[in-house]
Amino acid sequence: MTTTAQFLPAPPLLSPVAHNWKLALLAGLVVSVIAIVLFPARLSVSVVGAMVALVAAAFAVNAYRRRYYGGLLVAPAIAVLFVMNIFPLLWSLGLSFFAYQSNNQSIRFVGLNNYIKVLTNDIAAPANWDALINTGMFVVFTVALQMITGFLLAMLFAKQFPLRKYLLILVLTPMMLSVVASGVFFSYYYDPTFGILSYVMGEITGNQFILMDSKVGAVAGIVFTDAWMWAPFVMLLVLAGLVSVPKYLYEAAAIDRVSKARQFWTITFPYIRGLLMLALLFRTIEAFKLYDLVYILIRGGQDTKTIAYLITEIANEQNKTSEGAALSYVILFMVIVLTNLYLYLANRRNQGA
Amino acid sequence: MSTIEVKKITKKYGEFLAVKDASLSVKAGEVVCLLGPSGCGKTTTLRMIAGLERATEGDVIIAGKRMNELPPQKRDIAMVFQFYALYPALNVGQNIAMPLHFEKLSKEETDRRVNKVAKILHLTEVLDRMPGQVSEGEKQRIAVARAIVRDPNCFLFDEPLSRLDVELRHSMRGQIKEVLSNLSKATVIVTHDQLEALTMADRIAIMRDGMIEQVGTPHEVFAKPANVFVASFIGTPQMNLMEADLKSFGKGVASVTLAGNAVEMAADPAVSTLRPSKVMIGIRPRAFTAESSAGKSTIPAQAELIEPMGAETLIHARTKLGGDIRVVVPRTQRIKIGDVLHLKPDPKQTHFFGENGRAVRA
Amino acid sequence: MATLAEKFGLRKASGVGEAGWGHTLIVALVSLIYFLPVLMIIFTAFKPSAQALSVPPTLSPTSLFGLIPDQFVFTPTLENFGQVFNRVMVSGNAAEPTGFDVFFFNSFFISSVSVLLALVIGTLASYGFSRYPLKGNDTYLFIILTTRMLPAIVVIIPIILMFRTVGLSGSYVGIIMLYTAFNLAFTIWMMKSFFDELSYDVEDAARIDGSSEIKVFLKICLPQVVAGLAATFVFGLILTWNEFLFALLLTGVDTRTVPVAMNQAVSSGGRGTDWTLLASIETLFLIPVFLVTFFLQDHLLRGVTFGTVKR
Repeated sequence: MTTTAQFLPAPPLLSPVAHNWKLALLAGLVVSVIAIVLFPARLSVSVVGAMVALVAAAFAVNAYRRRYYGGLLVAPAIAVLFVMNIFPLLWSLGLSFFAYQSNNQSIRFVGLNNYIKVLTNDIAAPANWDALINTGMFVVFTVALQMITGFLLAMLFAKQFPLRKYLLILVLTPMMLSVVASGVFFSYYYDPTFGILSYVMGEITGNQFILMDSKVGAVAGIVFTDAWMWAPFVMLLVLAGLVSVPKYLYEAAAIDRVSKARQFWTITFPYIRGLLMLALLFRTIEAFKLYDLVYILIRGGQDTKTIAYLITEIANEQNKTSEGAALSYVILFMVIVLTNLYLYLANRRNQGA
Repeated sequence: MSTIEVKKITKKYGEFLAVKDASLSVKAGEVVCLLGPSGCGKTTTLRMIAGLERATEGDVIIAGKRMNELPPQKRDIAMVFQFYALYPALNVGQNIAMPLHFEKLSKEETDRRVNKVAKILHLTEVLDRMPGQVSEGEKQRIAVARAIVRDPNCFLFDEPLSRLDVELRHSMRGQIKEVLSNLSKATVIVTHDQLEALTMADRIAIMRDGMIEQVGTPHEVFAKPANVFVASFIGTPQMNLMEADLKSFGKGVASVTLAGNAVEMAADPAVSTLRPSKVMIGIRPRAFTAESSAGKSTIPAQAELIEPMGAETLIHARTKLGGDIRVVVPRTQRIKIGDVLHLKPDPKQTHFFGENGRAVRA
Repeated sequence: MATLAEKFGLRKASGVGEAGWGHTLIVALVSLIYFLPVLMIIFTAFKPSAQALSVPPTLSPTSLFGLIPDQFVFTPTLENFGQVFNRVMVSGNAAEPTGFDVFFFNSFFISSVSVLLALVIGTLASYGFSRYPLKGNDTYLFIILTTRMLPAIVVIIPIILMFRTVGLSGSYVGIIMLYTAFNLAFTIWMMKSFFDELSYDVEDAARIDGSSEIKVFLKICLPQVVAGLAATFVFGLILTWNEFLFALLLTGVDTRTVPVAMNQAVSSGGRGTDWTLLASIETLFLIPVFLVTFFLQDHLLRGVTFGTVKR
């Protein structure tokens, strides 16, 4: 490991060497201010951009010459994430303390009022809580179904057998579909008049079958579609764990006459536990954001609105941007608590093992 | 009875012939080493005995029962793997206890048996540790402990000591030998290290290119190698193998042309069956005496490189035709580089190999 | 003697973890059932419009020598694929280009550039996080992960405002930047675990031999994480390729991607869903990711361990 030894003395402020980032920053600021004052917005954006690039380059050279490689390597990623993710996040965090509607120019500081409103208001809060409960329900059902299906599929593919490669890609395909297409097509499969499900059920029961006619049916339809699309993801992770178990352990287990069940729990499971947890984490985060299928399959009907659906509705259709932002931050808080809990459990497990 | 018998087993991977017609029988309480260079098929043979590979042809008979079709679970065997194959998620004690679950023993009995073997192999202190937290030598002992914790039909070892350093290897050889001698089971050990084979085995089977070249006691394979390969493979420093022209044979003495010299040397009476032809003569470096003057049965060679080995000195000498001869002389015999040695082979330790590479012996 | 049954793998194969054609048969059945909804989409792409919504649903392009009753059989046609690029947009008018050639190009261009960019930037960053940990390394990593936790809509409003201000709305640069960021979190987490897994010994040996840090990274570390790069690429591609909401709100007419255009093509005109059109767009759209995934499949399995398997 190379240490971040700072053996290079800082250059005097005005010395024009490449790693003098202070000079670059100063020059950049001056030029930018002049540009903003003198030029129209579009042009000054380019000038400011160029200046940012100049300062960044000076920082980079400085970091390289000082062997501060960590910062140097991480900086571009942090920069992109900052501009495209963190900055908008902070912006919307800020918005959540204001009364702002995107179709209205007025903006007014309201403190925590938005939060109080989304959590306690007589009209808004019950819908939010319902959506939250729905989201929780979807998370539990769809993640559980994905994990079970993915796990079983992975067990099927864990061995070497002829044509494995070609069959595996078939199972992976649902993951590659566009949600628009799979959503629309599942609404066709579920369709009471034309759908195959209704046709099959009709042949059996003699009655027309309308899946989306009740909340249970609608939830089942959404959960099934989502789990169908993403179980292959879980499968891939579990499968990677399964194939990473060294073959000689199974051979030793065969010699030691270890039962299949014990083999699974003492040899196989420790290898896939971490990946199962990871699949759980990723799929839970994604399931919290469930929106598109609810929209495409049922337009939020039958009391299936999820929190992401509600936020999109509030922020985009009703233009209550700051309220949507406040609600989002409530959710973010919950997801962070959940994720930390997961990371805590995962780490404790790893240390214990 | 704990015996292993292997009858003409063959293993093919597609067109590749890994093991060909290998036969071997191991009595109860006997330790047989499968010795050979890497890729000679010795591990494959062992895995066929274990049931981890299925023999393409031939029979595997363990404890008197043909077991070709049986999976490892049904063969009741114990095996120590090359990389130990410790279960990474279980601690040392649980690892050793793994083979006992099959017998559905009580918790107390399991603990008792585990503690017993742990004591034998000095593992009592580390029973609660994970495999990742113990030393290489301890891992090796855990693997042995796991094998001897129950009472199997036989023991199989796949390169058990190859991952240990020289010191540890030496002490483990002794320990394993001691443990095995108390168990009186048929045991097969695969190794590429001849010292390991010579010290641990009751008998050694030397393999090359999927075939067993010779089976015999450590003394037999050393003193009476069946062919050129065995002769060159066993013994350090390596046996000198020299091409020679056999001229005639009479009264126990063979006249040969060796490295450009006419030499008369005592030979096995069976050499008389050979017609005058090209032969290979094998003489171990310790079977020479370096004389100061030429004689009828001496080979002249000039000392080129001298390696003191402690009690003895290894000399690389060059013959008239440029061939290299390795000679070991006692430390007390002072030889300098450039000295011409007249090497006299010990007639009892001179091996003649015919054109087919087989030893010519009565 | 190897019996015929053994030769064709019908009996249990010798090695541990290997199975024969019997297993293939079971897995094939399961896989086909799992693949069925996709297959129906692909079949629909070949159905004449009139048969798309027939009751009972038509299920097969062939009667399989009379095995399947005629009512389930449709007559395959390639017409729909032509419709994707040229069709009658306003009834009465002649067929006109739909612009889907451009949309396919956009999807291809935007996805590949942003996924590759994220791969480059993310790999550098993950190498930094792994080899030169900063103060508060874990905090950075966690913050990076949280960027993936919020519903897209939360970030999207400020981004729309931001893009409008600097004139990036509807441009390639804007959406590519956004997708790059979108892929970064995943890339960094995934690649970091790969670098964490590598042994330092070889790197240190290279340093002692006088290799520069850059050379150590390029020549020693990168070649060892190829599987991880491939897996990350496939996952990033799948997610970006099909991304809908950002594309809907941030791409313009010229930079529109296929999922957005597909949605519009399907729901426009007020005639209800055009099933055969949707199916043929999706079928065409599926091919590139399908091929990439297929060819990188071997890496995919080795690549998704995320280094979670320790010891």
